[in-house]
Amino acid sequence: MADPRLLIVDDEERFLTTTKALLQKRGIVTFTSTNGTKAMEILERESIDVVILDVKMPGLDGVEVLRVIKKRHPLVEVIMLTGHASAESAVGGLNLGAFDYLMKPCDIQTLIDKINGAYAKKETALENLRKTKIDKIISHPLEVFDKDRSDNP
Amino acid sequence: MGNNDFRQTRKTILVRVLLLPFIIILIVFGILVYNFATYSSKQVRSELERVAMDHRTLILQFLAEKVADLTFISSSYSIDELKSTTSLTEIFRRLQSVSVAFFDLGVFDEKGNHLAYAGPYDLAGRNYAQTEWFKAVQEKGLYISDVFLGYRNIPHFVVAVSRNQGDHSWYLRATIDTFAFNDLVENIRIGSTGEAYLVNRKGILQSRRRSGGRLMEPDPDFDTYQIEKEKINSFTTGNYFDRQYLYAAGELRSTGWIMVVRQAANDAYAPLRFSVMVSIIIIIGGVIVVIIMGYIQATRMVNSLNFADMEKQQMKTQLVIAGKLAEVGEMSTGLAHEINNPLQVMKSEITMIKDIIPDIEKIVRAHDPDPENLRLLTDSVEQIGIQIDRCGNITQGLLKFARKTDSSRQPIEMQEFIPEVVRMVEQRAYLENIRIIQELDPDIPPLMTDSNQLQQVFLNLLNNAIHALKGRMPAEIRIQCSKKGDDLIIKVMDNGCGISPEDMEKIYLPFFTTKPVGQGTGLGLSTVYGIVNGLGGEITVESEINNGTMFLIRLPLVTQDRTTEEGGKI
Repeated sequence: MADPRLLIVDDEERFLTTTKALLQKRGIVTFTSTNGTKAMEILERESIDVVILDVKMPGLDGVEVLRVIKKRHPLVEVIMLTGHASAESAVGGLNLGAFDYLMKPCDIQTLIDKINGAYAKKETALENLRKTKIDKIISHPLEVFDKDRSDNP
Repeated sequence: MGNNDFRQTRKTILVRVLLLPFIIILIVFGILVYNFATYSSKQVRSELERVAMDHRTLILQFLAEKVADLTFISSSYSIDELKSTTSLTEIFRRLQSVSVAFFDLGVFDEKGNHLAYAGPYDLAGRNYAQTEWFKAVQEKGLYISDVFLGYRNIPHFVVAVSRNQGDHSWYLRATIDTFAFNDLVENIRIGSTGEAYLVNRKGILQSRRRSGGRLMEPDPDFDTYQIEKEKINSFTTGNYFDRQYLYAAGELRSTGWIMVVRQAANDAYAPLRFSVMVSIIIIIGGVIVVIIMGYIQATRMVNSLNFADMEKQQMKTQLVIAGKLAEVGEMSTGLAHEINNPLQVMKSEITMIKDIIPDIEKIVRAHDPDPENLRLLTDSVEQIGIQIDRCGNITQGLLKFARKTDSSRQPIEMQEFIPEVVRMVEQRAYLENIRIIQELDPDIPPLMTDSNQLQQVFLNLLNNAIHALKGRMPAEIRIQCSKKGDDLIIKVMDNGCGISPEDMEKIYLPFFTTKPVGQGTGLGLSTVYGIVNGLGGEITVESEINNGTMFLIRLPLVTQDRTTEEGGKI
């Protein structure tokens, strides 16, 4: 299993830089963004496996961002990060398809464990998807040409 | 409401609602009784006066009749006709046949010589010139004597009339039998003590008195009589409170005698006294009954008022507490947020430092094999990490109080759950000599709830109870669990030191603690409060200093999951 590619979205810039440095050191390719809009751009541009999303941010709210991510990139796993009152929103986030949520302050090891969990889930989902595709190809070889474009974002 | 206010209210109710109208009725009743008594006593008097009047008239008539008889004889016959004893006896016999009261009859000349006599004695020939009656009849022409004994030594009185014939006057005298006369007066009876009698002007009894007093004896009560001419007077003797007799007295003009009718006041006023007495007893009885009933009613009323007041007060306090807690909750979440973000940054930084330290160590060691400063630095960094975690724990506690944490619910059997929790503190309780009693209803349905949170609730309450029981004998914690309606009722009671009323409002506030510094965070009960509220229940507390504390938790058996409901809206 390759190392996961990660995107952290949080309005605390210092947190982003430090965490990025720590994660990079531990072999996780990390992108950062201070707001939802920029995060969406990065998601479009880069191949991202897991997103860590602060629930409360100025501008586009964490839950809103989650919704968009799940709509446009259903395979990307999202971990909600909450530092405050919005644990309820985080739980709401779980209902919207987030992988899990973490309460601030959390140490780096917990974060990494969660990231790995999310990544594993994504990989399994992808694997399943591939299998079904292969099954399909075996049963209906000609359909591959029709649907290939839509499967690949 | 204090005890004083209670008394004050009761007094007000008693006075305004019951006593005031009652006093008015009492006054009206009193006036009625007074008027009745006055009227009745007047009636009694006038009755007595009427009797006296009637009898006076009767006696006057009797005397007038006797005088008329004599006048008739004296004017019908001449002195010469009457001088002969035979004809006088004949006339006397005829007179007696008309009235038996005549005892004898005599004729006298100007000089008082008894010329003729008809009667049982032989009195003729005696001279009466010096006797009182003779002088009086000479002067006035008519005389009725007082009762006297005379020569015959029996009580009698005389009636004498004069007759002028030419230049001479002569006199006719009859003796009246006092016994026959007495009957007229004595037969009067009023009540059991009422009586009538006659006295002369000097107070000598002219008729027998039934209550003691023989004929011709002086009347001992004579000086109390009040006599006016013609009128019948009524009066009482004795003082106001100790009345002895009620009198009615009047003068008999023709003799100067006094007609007295009297009745013992006790007897005369007996019916009146009885009815007044009954009235007073009824009034007093009424007063007592009204006061007792009023007192009971007022007490009852005040009690229920008091109770309502207390309930209101309690409700108000609960509302105030709830409001305060909501505010504090709002603040706590804001605070937790603001602190958690920097804590997160710090945590990352600490990790970063820890990552870097081994690199630095290599460089330092190259110069100094035993770098003291480096060890101190590592130590400090370690300590900062610990303190960040500590801060994190506090903010977690605050968030629990503000019930913004997640809850995952599953059915829990209280009969298993509570003993499990109790087992966790049993060792500590045993060391403190505390007995934990569990009273769990066997038919409690499973509760849909978050077992972790519920466990925290119990652990916090039990912790507090153990703390409150420190050093107490006998120390006891009682856990009750039962079903009531759609709710599960959990009671955690201890007989410990209790909570002071001043602390009562603050117990759920985060960071409020009575434990010594460093032994409690002050987040225990606020966490309990937050969790119970988050589970849709409510918690109340009753406590008495030095007697113990009871926490009552009400949890709905039919779950309304607030968290997911609210979460679902997002």
